[in-house]
Amino acid sequence: MTAIGLYNYWIVFFLMMAGLYVVIVSTNLIKKIIGLNIFQTSVFILYLSIGKVAGGTAPILADGFSVYSNPLPHVLILTAIVVGVATTALGLALIVRIHAAYGSVDEEIIYRNEP
Amino acid sequence: MEHHIVLRVVAKMLIPIILLFALYVQFHGEYGPGGGFQAGVIFGSGFILYALIFGLQTTKRVLPAKVVHIMTGLGVLIFAGVGVFGMLRGGNFLEYGVLSADPVAGQHLGIILIELGVGITVTFVMVSLFYSFAGYRQQKLQPSVTGQGDAGGNAP
Repeated sequence: MTAIGLYNYWIVFFLMMAGLYVVIVSTNLIKKIIGLNIFQTSVFILYLSIGKVAGGTAPILADGFSVYSNPLPHVLILTAIVVGVATTALGLALIVRIHAAYGSVDEEIIYRNEP
Repeated sequence: MEHHIVLRVVAKMLIPIILLFALYVQFHGEYGPGGGFQAGVIFGSGFILYALIFGLQTTKRVLPAKVVHIMTGLGVLIFAGVGVFGMLRGGNFLEYGVLSADPVAGQHLGIILIELGVGITVTFVMVSLFYSFAGYRQQKLQPSVTGQGDAGGNAP
């Protein structure tokens, strides 16, 4: 029962392993970035799940509420999302340059074209 | 994608709503879930949707690249300016209470201005990222005619 009740952690495991699998197996660099993003999202969900307090509301002072969810993981993940956008943009920019130099975004072809 | 009439009509109807929703998220962030990061991304995605449907050149007429770069810096300037202004009024960096005569009113003012700075920066950084990726091919076409391969400068 507890194992099913903590389903968001199962989702985290699934997404994390799916992202890792894509990063390792895929030879297409764009798909690697997508896998990295899926992995990243699983970490976001992990942190947000940890920050949730059962029965807690949004951490804004209001009458009639005394239990609040922990806002710290949310703020950390807000920053992590912004950093994630920046790293994705950097990775895509690198891929654009690689494509300009080698004419492909596929790792096999890049290795073959390496002088 | 200019010949897709369904996309054009739907985008024209959706873009004002997207921008309005971004402003709602921006100013609702003081009392509830929301804030500058989310609002900035939504606002930026409105412009990006416009660019995807109506083309990059049309969007650059609405929002020139120069304006985008200036606004990116302006947001950071607002953020830092509010912090330094609090110091000039005798408080700590980013202490909102001293911004106004009434501490509660100062806190309201402070968080709205800070979130405004964050929102402006995030909006225009998103648009700037989109511009640089979407405009890459057009810039690249000229040097690749003369130079061979490694286009984009700093070749040895």
